[in-house]
Amino acid sequence: MSNPRIPDPAPAPQPPPARPGDPPPTTFPTAGSAQPPVDTQPISADAKKWAWPEKPTLLGTRVKRVDGPNKVTGRAKYTFDINRPGMLFGKIARSPYAHARIAAIDLSQAEKAPGVKAVLAWKEVGAEVMFQGDPVAAVAADTDERAVDAMRLIRVRYEQLPHVISDAQATAPGAPVVFKGGNTTPGSTEETGSLSDGFKQAAHTIEANYSTHVITHCCMESHGSVCEWDGDKLTAWISTQAVHGSKQGFAQGLKIPEANVRTITEYMGGGFGSKVGPDAQGLICAQLAKLAKAPVKLMLDRKEEQLDSGNRPGASVRVKAGVTAEGKLTAWEGTSLGSGGAGAAAGFPLPYLYDFPNRKRTHTDVYINAGRQRAMRAPGHPQGCFLTEIMMDELADIVKMDPVAFRINNVPAVAANTMWAEYFTSGAKTFGWDKRHPTGDKTPGPIKTGMGVSAHRWGGGGRGAQVHCDITSDGGLVVKCGTQDIGTGTRTIVTMVAAETAGLPMSAIKAEIGDSRLPFAGASGGSTTCAGVSPAVRITVGKALDALFERVAPQLGVKADTLVASGGRVHVKGSPAKGFTWKEACKLVGTEPISVDGKWEPGLSAAGTCGVQFAEVEVDIETGIVRVKRVLAIQDCGLIVDRLTAESQVHGGVISSLSFALFEDRILDRNTGQMVNPNMEMYLLAGMSDIPQIDAVLVDSPEQRARGVIGIGEPPTVSTSAAIANAVRNAIGVPLRSLPLHPHKILAAMAQGKAAGTL
Amino acid sequence: MAPNDEHPDKSERGSAVSRRAFLKTAGVSSLAASVVGVEVGAQPAGPPMVGPGETAVHLMVNGKRVDLQIEPRVTLLNALRNHADITGNKRGCDRGACGACTMIVDGRAVYSCSTLAIEVQGKQVRTVDGLAVGNKLHPVQQAFYDHDALMCGFCTPGFIMASVALLEKHPTPTPTQLRKGLDGNICRCGTFKRIREAVASVKGVPHV
Repeated sequence: MSNPRIPDPAPAPQPPPARPGDPPPTTFPTAGSAQPPVDTQPISADAKKWAWPEKPTLLGTRVKRVDGPNKVTGRAKYTFDINRPGMLFGKIARSPYAHARIAAIDLSQAEKAPGVKAVLAWKEVGAEVMFQGDPVAAVAADTDERAVDAMRLIRVRYEQLPHVISDAQATAPGAPVVFKGGNTTPGSTEETGSLSDGFKQAAHTIEANYSTHVITHCCMESHGSVCEWDGDKLTAWISTQAVHGSKQGFAQGLKIPEANVRTITEYMGGGFGSKVGPDAQGLICAQLAKLAKAPVKLMLDRKEEQLDSGNRPGASVRVKAGVTAEGKLTAWEGTSLGSGGAGAAAGFPLPYLYDFPNRKRTHTDVYINAGRQRAMRAPGHPQGCFLTEIMMDELADIVKMDPVAFRINNVPAVAANTMWAEYFTSGAKTFGWDKRHPTGDKTPGPIKTGMGVSAHRWGGGGRGAQVHCDITSDGGLVVKCGTQDIGTGTRTIVTMVAAETAGLPMSAIKAEIGDSRLPFAGASGGSTTCAGVSPAVRITVGKALDALFERVAPQLGVKADTLVASGGRVHVKGSPAKGFTWKEACKLVGTEPISVDGKWEPGLSAAGTCGVQFAEVEVDIETGIVRVKRVLAIQDCGLIVDRLTAESQVHGGVISSLSFALFEDRILDRNTGQMVNPNMEMYLLAGMSDIPQIDAVLVDSPEQRARGVIGIGEPPTVSTSAAIANAVRNAIGVPLRSLPLHPHKILAAMAQGKAAGTL
Repeated sequence: MAPNDEHPDKSERGSAVSRRAFLKTAGVSSLAASVVGVEVGAQPAGPPMVGPGETAVHLMVNGKRVDLQIEPRVTLLNALRNHADITGNKRGCDRGACGACTMIVDGRAVYSCSTLAIEVQGKQVRTVDGLAVGNKLHPVQQAFYDHDALMCGFCTPGFIMASVALLEKHPTPTPTQLRKGLDGNICRCGTFKRIREAVASVKGVPHV
């Protein structure tokens, strides 16, 4: 995409203020090839004392999720399933226009509609709606159906205003200025080394445009909550990735004390970065419940979900890069655009991962009249990865090198968190990379095959989760943490780590999560949950055991620090016979239970993962349809906690990225500014017939284990789309520089290739 | 959604009964007119009109009778979730695209979000809530649990019901039958690989 000059970029415009309840703005690193951070904090004394066991009984094994039976039987109650006595249903009226001013809001007919108990205007007359789906007013009625009826009776008169829904429209000469201060925010220019020197050293250069599209989170359980007031105290069951963050969001949005809010998320149906606060719909739900004096359930419908619950923003770059005849990268110069919707910035790391010694990047955020972006599974990285990795294969061809060898030539030196050179080598062998043909499958027939490769990194790391542990005289061990299980298996991991630490079977542990009355834990984002919660549980249960040992030691005539808990017993280290069974030991606790608080401390977790992925595809050059045959994902993740759920994370990341590459696309009509496919039948997602063979290899070396726990919810979803695109290019022999790889684009690229004489 | 946004999809679905009734009426009356020469516009014999207000609807769900007082336009999914607190099956897209609502009605997998409750009176409705016997999981549920064929679990009830319907029809499905049988369901966490493995591992399902 071209980046026309903006006539007058000064003064620096400010994005429109976020609405109450909006998640905090997400910022992403835009530094070029900065490497993932490594934990440098000193190891705490608690972490030293409760270091991960050298010979674990549970950690690293395949453990089925503890809430599996509840999920397969339908007994698991998600927010969407909460039914309270006398509960009403809430519904939001939203702007049908991409940009308009509200001239009038008439709630009178809705108020009189059957079953209606509360109606409110969310926006004031005179306010502007900035995208299709911007909330305007809301109702609560006694049934779902009547709430929809009443919502349709809310009369809003709009004065339509000009809109821009693409980078091209927003930056075109004479484009209407729809955002205060301008449609763009030119970012700072980052420069490292000397570009002129870099291009002087280059034997070859490439100049091209690369871009990615917008996709939506499309969580299976939509955003929403059930709000119930008891006097001035609010209880909110909410589908969220941040139980404590949502409590804070409700308190701030409703201007009530945090102490008056309780948030509960027992089970939740997917978030992928988009569910970190109550948002407008949560605050509307709470206000409707207050007005109606009854509990209200307000879950978004699929159309609302597609329009106003976040998306992965599009990215594009105009790039010039240089390489020596020997295949060493020398220079990268890029002008990038990101469009995060109505007033949201959209950064992404670029160039990605590889060593460009001399580089210069100028980034501009473009605002358009569409739903705002939110962090989505590895925010920024799939875009940065694609924009870089596709160019890497083109450069490899220019210098006539194998793409894997070319990459190994240009990755950072091997270290614990920069293992790419090793993974490329081992992965190529496992995948059968030696059978890859040069660019363009020359075999006859319409089905062409190809192989591609890509690499990624992620930061992650642990952070301040707090935990409470009780040991009672009946042998109970309860672990409490206000974290949440968003499908990654947090409840299982909490139980596993507690059981491992206390030497007990998992069935002996009671893990409580998903309630803001439990100790604070951060939002599940950035792949930080497993690395934050696991050390906190380990240290807190360890401290509780220390307290237990103090009470048990006198009975054994030994010092407390000689005791250990293992194999269901509390005994002198090295002498299992000299001690008590767990139950006997706990009887010594007496009436005052052991009750201990602890938190995450540095030393048991780490930040910085890397991985590489290989893909093999078949492309039908008569229809343009791409089928992925195989994906190999090599992923490191430090000390593996639950091997079964860790593998599931990798599979899920690969499938999600495949869907990003081949199917999903938020399509906006350039004339009306409306989303053409705000549903799940035209917004295409990968289904069972689209799933390739997926081989997940979790790197489980002593070096990686020694790093401690690292989360991998996000990293595996970064590479697949680029590996697939490179495989498609390898199959058909012409470059594909933009996602998604829809059939018409494959056919167009081939037609262009023929016209240019390269095919 | 918006006041002037007419939801063509929903209005069409909402009027499915009356449209069908109209077609039936038109068919009968034109036939009658041509054969017997009855005056055009005569009222044909047919089921009594119900609605648009609440009416009694009697369902058989998981072998138990469920008596509801609901509007005729209420879907099977909403009837069970909102009026009978049977919440195992989920609402994902509400228009027959994601499969989270999949139930089995008289042996066939159906999208319960696109089926009216009033239309399945007299039929046997099965939901994920009724599959297990006490704490003993149905073989398909057990397979999903054993293979970690679920993550957030929101799509799982629909996938399990679609799998049960598939395996009751094809006890040992070919890979193609398995794919096609589950192509009507979407999982956003990306559990398809293990769902495929789980369903392929099931050695027979109880005869229903």
